[in-house]
Amino acid sequence: MQAMQAWVAHRIGFWPIITLLVFLTLIALLLMPVVNIIGMSLSSKDPNSSVIANYVEFFSRRFYYQTLINSVQVSVAATFFAVLFGVPAAYFATRYEIFGRSFVRAAVVLTFVSPPFIGSYSWVVLFGRSGIVTQTLADIGINLPSIYGAPGIVLVFTLQFFPFVFLMVSSGLKSIDQSVEDAARNLGSSELRTFFTVLLPLLIPSISAGALLVFVAAFTDIGTPIIIGERFRVLPVLVFGEFVNEFGGRPILASTLAVLLLTVTTSALLLQRWYAARHAYGTSAIRPLLVMEQPPLKRILASTYVLLLVGLALLPVINIVISSFLKANGPLLIAEFTMENYHRVWRTIGTPLSNTLYYTTVATAMCAVVGTAVGYIIVRRPGRLGGWLDGVVMFSYAVPGIVLAVGLVVTYNEPPLILTGTSAILILAFFIRRLPFSVRSSVSMLQQLSRDTEDASINLGAGPGRTFMRITVPLLSMAILSGVLLTWSNTIRELSATLILQSGNTVTLSIEIFNEVVNGNFGIASALGTVLILLTFLPLVILFAFLGKKEEALV
Amino acid sequence: MASTSVHIESVTKQFGDFTAVNKVDISIAKGEFFTLLGSSGCGKTTLLRIVAGFMQQSSGRILFGDKPIDDVPAHKRNTGMVFQNYAIFPHLTVVDNIAYGLRARGLPSAQVDERVRKMLAMMRLEHLGHRRPRELSGGQQQRVVLARAIVIEPDVLLMDEPLSNLDTEMRIHLRSEIRTLQRQIGVTTIYVTHDQEEALMMSDRVAVMSAGHVEQIGSPADIFYRPRTRFVASFIGESNFVPAEAVADGVYAVPGGGRFNVPAARAAELGRKAEIAFRSHDITIGAPVAGGWTATVIDAQFYGATTRLVLDLGDGKTVQAASTGHAGAVPPPVGTRVGLALPPDAFWIFPEKR
Repeated sequence: MQAMQAWVAHRIGFWPIITLLVFLTLIALLLMPVVNIIGMSLSSKDPNSSVIANYVEFFSRRFYYQTLINSVQVSVAATFFAVLFGVPAAYFATRYEIFGRSFVRAAVVLTFVSPPFIGSYSWVVLFGRSGIVTQTLADIGINLPSIYGAPGIVLVFTLQFFPFVFLMVSSGLKSIDQSVEDAARNLGSSELRTFFTVLLPLLIPSISAGALLVFVAAFTDIGTPIIIGERFRVLPVLVFGEFVNEFGGRPILASTLAVLLLTVTTSALLLQRWYAARHAYGTSAIRPLLVMEQPPLKRILASTYVLLLVGLALLPVINIVISSFLKANGPLLIAEFTMENYHRVWRTIGTPLSNTLYYTTVATAMCAVVGTAVGYIIVRRPGRLGGWLDGVVMFSYAVPGIVLAVGLVVTYNEPPLILTGTSAILILAFFIRRLPFSVRSSVSMLQQLSRDTEDASINLGAGPGRTFMRITVPLLSMAILSGVLLTWSNTIRELSATLILQSGNTVTLSIEIFNEVVNGNFGIASALGTVLILLTFLPLVILFAFLGKKEEALV
Repeated sequence: MASTSVHIESVTKQFGDFTAVNKVDISIAKGEFFTLLGSSGCGKTTLLRIVAGFMQQSSGRILFGDKPIDDVPAHKRNTGMVFQNYAIFPHLTVVDNIAYGLRARGLPSAQVDERVRKMLAMMRLEHLGHRRPRELSGGQQQRVVLARAIVIEPDVLLMDEPLSNLDTEMRIHLRSEIRTLQRQIGVTTIYVTHDQEEALMMSDRVAVMSAGHVEQIGSPADIFYRPRTRFVASFIGESNFVPAEAVADGVYAVPGGGRFNVPAARAAELGRKAEIAFRSHDITIGAPVAGGWTATVIDAQFYGATTRLVLDLGDGKTVQAASTGHAGAVPPPVGTRVGLALPPDAFWIFPEKR
């Protein structure tokens, strides 16, 4: 058997075999599900109807098409505000000596990694109909506008997702050379004018990349609209409804909705790529932009702006952590310290916690192994297959978790392979969802590693497999480890795809929190949320503190 | 050491429409130090990588001794390669770097230790054995990768501009060290460089390459004193080119009144118009002689050890003359008319430049 394997490896080669395996995996977990939902959306129970019958139905019934309009509206609004607030914040935080710089960095990361649906409920607790702030202000005669519906969703999305823009623009600013700004100032341009005429145009690729991330995240989020949207219905919630209303759901309708989601996110991605490519100047800074010394008033104003923004965004997280130690009576919190929530959580957290850790760990490990191998094939073994692989991985960026989930359900809910309701389907969904990010990070680290080092190993008589294990992997170990920590943090708080794929046995922490929130048990939800935030945040602390990564690594 | 001869037979490498290596034929004797010399993009590194097996030639074949190696994968070719950027394994100690190839060959560890120890001693690296590469200087790193390539007793040692990342002093020091080491162990060596001084000083033979093909193969002295093509004459040393016209049988005239005698057969081959080339340092400057070769000094550039005169021959043609200065020597001032002379064999004649 081993001789046989050796023979095969010798004849066909180590990397072609790996490439083939990776391809089969991507076909099974990404292409087939997507092709299936497209096929399903064009099918019908009635053999006489046209292939686009489902779309005709969607666009002729207001109940359906209004959700698409709503989704686009809130996502575009959230993207607009995230850019509007995020770009200046990034500029001030990078260029000015603002107060509390470390706090700002930590707050941005915390905001970024806290599960958005927790944020939504926090806002309800503070500013909802019977919210603490609402009531307090009502007592002194001030009536706040309603937080429910579209405004609430836009508010939560903006504050939750502006870090995408903030981080992208911060890293974009670091790639601009100080001499460019100096030249503009030398020619008589004011700071403001320089910002709009020189820096902003150079930042377009970064800003648009951040905006795209905000848009896609907002457009495909399920949790926030359910919690804070009330009667304002969006497209992802409609998809989710298909899976809870009727047992097993209506796969044809769910597929049609998923294809619409995919069409919008893919178009947004292509639009952004096209737009950014037209404005890419390939700048790289020999001497990056410096921190400017500012007169005290300017410094104070800039600091106030940044601190207010990140403080507001961080408010839900603070609220959750504090609330988790307060006595709760259903949705009402009483200002009295208690560990009761944690005691109650302690008894029920076992299954969701172990599920969450199990799924996250396995998916993360798979991402690390497969992501490194795929990155290696793309960078080191370019060819027709490598190009294809690159294309498929790029495409998977555009496939939102919720669409992937629908695709997996549609593909693996009948023989020969039934995966619906199993742990495997969740793990595979997490794995394939994060794979492009792992691939991208291994591609960028391999591009920095001179090929000669591996050639030297081959030249000294080590075969391709041995070279990969002895040279490539050890050299990339730090980078792989940071990739692992990032994947872990991003996977552990996943909600949208999980909502569709989970069954009673495969409940995760984020699902448990979501359920408690929907049932109005905010005390327990807060305690669980605090646990989840810790689990998300700890790996990042390691990443930033010990591996010397910057927050920009998050995007 | 099991060293071997290398035969490159009509090797061509194409990348799409671009021909990187064009029908190259080279035979390298066992134990020879052979250099591929050329500017960047001439195909020398591509050819070296084909010999190492990192690339497959489009056509032609390569033999080690009498054995074709075209189907042997890179890791089975037993060539030791030294890379331009060292390609040291940064995560392994000096000892582990040197032992890497021996371990890949599955040698028993006692034997590995023994050979690594000998190699450390030979390269005077004993005290650095347990250091990590980042604690070593550039020169030390280069000695480690040289040791790593030699310790496997390669059939052929391949070196791709191994000294170009080092400072001048270290480069001069290491090139004699490499040359001595190569003679001592007698390994067949293919050395790639763009530095002609390095090529001339280290090699038994040199192949000058340009645009993918070999212009000339010969000993360093051949290459320097007897360039066979205009390219080699211009690439090696500092040469002047002047247009020449036949004025009598076997006599060519150049601007400024210089006369050159060319064998009748060569003159017949070239026709009326040709081009004469000579080295700047072969020109001697003296007082103008009536009916001799004269020029006007238009610039004198003082470089310390040498002084370069830019001379106007008339007809818009200038040449450079380099002279080794000595204390108290005063170059002729700008505007002086001077007489030029060349030793009888210190010029070459090529077909007219188109």
